[in-house]
Amino acid sequence: MERYTSIWDMYQKKGMSRRSFIKTCTAMTAMLGLSPSMLSDVVEAAEKRLPVVIWLHGMECTGCTESFIRSASPLPTDVLINMISLEYDDTLAAAQGEPFENHLNEVVKANYGNYFLAVEGAVPTSADGGYCMIGGENFLDRLKTLAAGAKAIITYGSCSSWGGIQAARPNPTQSVEIDDIINNKPIIKVPGCPPIPEVMTGVLAYYTMFGSIPPLDSRDCPTQFFGNRIHDTCYRRAFFNAGMFANSFDDEGAKAGWCLYKLGCRGPETYSSCGSLRWWQGMSYPVQSGYPCIGCTAKNFWDNGPLYSRLPVYAGIQLGNIDKMGAFATGAMAVGITAHMATSTIQKKKRDAKERRERKEAVAKQAADNVSQEEKK
Amino acid sequence: MEGKKSEFIATSVPNDGQKRKLTRYYLFSPFLRIYHWIMAITITILFGTGLVITTPMSLSGEFVSYNGWFLSLGFIRYLHFLCAFILTAALGLRIYGYIINKGDRLLPHMFNTKFWDDLAEVMMHYCLIKYSHKEFLRNPMARLSYLAIYVLIIIEVFTGYAMYFQMEPNSFMATLFGWQILFDGEMLLHVIHHLAAWAIFLLAAVHIYMVIRADFMEREGEASSMFSGTKVLAEVPDDIEDITDKHGRVIKG
Repeated sequence: MERYTSIWDMYQKKGMSRRSFIKTCTAMTAMLGLSPSMLSDVVEAAEKRLPVVIWLHGMECTGCTESFIRSASPLPTDVLINMISLEYDDTLAAAQGEPFENHLNEVVKANYGNYFLAVEGAVPTSADGGYCMIGGENFLDRLKTLAAGAKAIITYGSCSSWGGIQAARPNPTQSVEIDDIINNKPIIKVPGCPPIPEVMTGVLAYYTMFGSIPPLDSRDCPTQFFGNRIHDTCYRRAFFNAGMFANSFDDEGAKAGWCLYKLGCRGPETYSSCGSLRWWQGMSYPVQSGYPCIGCTAKNFWDNGPLYSRLPVYAGIQLGNIDKMGAFATGAMAVGITAHMATSTIQKKKRDAKERRERKEAVAKQAADNVSQEEKK
Repeated sequence: MEGKKSEFIATSVPNDGQKRKLTRYYLFSPFLRIYHWIMAITITILFGTGLVITTPMSLSGEFVSYNGWFLSLGFIRYLHFLCAFILTAALGLRIYGYIINKGDRLLPHMFNTKFWDDLAEVMMHYCLIKYSHKEFLRNPMARLSYLAIYVLIIIEVFTGYAMYFQMEPNSFMATLFGWQILFDGEMLLHVIHHLAAWAIFLLAAVHIYMVIRADFMEREGEASSMFSGTKVLAEVPDDIEDITDKHGRVIKG
């Protein structure tokens, strides 16, 4: 297989024109959300050397890889694989066994301190990391070793970003996110279960273009893809504002495509490009297909069930519907207040009677004293 | 303006055929009173709209806005946010009153043993074990409940703005409040916001009951004090030093 040192190098070796290269760069500029005047920077960047990427799989379902290989833009899949120099990915590689592991060691040695580490999957920490073994080594150790030489880490998917389904309560394997293990490297979180393919490739494209990690928000997610609420970009938002809701999956509202808020849609708490980029080349996204968002890019979304109710029921606390509980508490309180009021009234009457009696006695005593004093005189 | 206690004898009322002298004490500054009524109105609206936002009206699948634009969730949310901003801004009045008027400083004397003793006495009265308690301008339990309501309001302000400003997650305000999301995600904030809202509601219910009860049990002008700023007491209250200056004279508004 021919090796390319840059995207421009690939175009030349494949006999493609400078014109089509510029076209691709223009598309990438638009994809990355840059202004058209930045095109020259993108072209310059695309002529630079490709970044080396090592892709690790921890405790996960490889769904992120499934998503990744279905990316269609900014470029078709083969170009994407060539936009980066993907040296190690045990799921996608044809090679296997010892030669493949030796290749990993060679690549790490050759690019120490310069390669990119893409991680899918959470890190199980209990049983000394024994719940996830790769090539006879546990994932925890492998991650630590490889992260030491990495320039930056991209965590693909909610497992490596937040811990994932396997970190759901009670979390028997003590799975944690990459951030909990690695502290001294820049981490770009690309959460989602899985993330949108174009978002996964877009983050790498940004790095390829500019040689720096994209701007991150307070959760370390790239702002260009995670800077908007699904609720604010949702095409069904107008139904929300108008108060038109589907009450169940089989009613007229659901049929008419009204807002899924009452069916537990997590759109108002979820930050993703689903509403604007959508999935599979802009074909659809969960809300568009009539299914409420489950908030898969949000931290701990797996513990915020049931997914079809507005507010979560926390395991351990078992709160149930807070508003119903509140109404119940109000009723109980109304009974309590009435009882307290009645008792207070009775008590007040008794108190007043007692005070009156005491006063009368005092007056009588005073009178008696006066009489006795007069008698003495 | 300052004066001696005896100058404040304002009125006397008949009681069992006897005349008893009552003294009117100035306690609450206008800032506190205005804040109180802003709080009462906004919290009522915030609670009502909050319930609707959680479970929006959906008149069996009908187009709700046909029945009135004010029923649309867009307007109800707008009302909720408007009241939230008013309530937050009004906290300034409360703080100003706290600074200028000694009678407005109603937080509990937590580090005073006497406070806890008095609290026990008042609790015994409210548990209907004791007939009456000492006269206070502000009794220890009321003081604790003020602390509780402010803490609850601050919880609501913080969780509420954390959720509200997330519509622009990279804005300054989102940075100011958004850190709360990092602990356990945004859904937990919704739950906390709800629990605190119900706590405020229940506290307000008890508060209204206690005011009405105090008004007919003690006849100290508890309900009218939120309009006039004064309370009328038959005896010198136990916590009179809360409204006296350093010379021991009662501060008049």
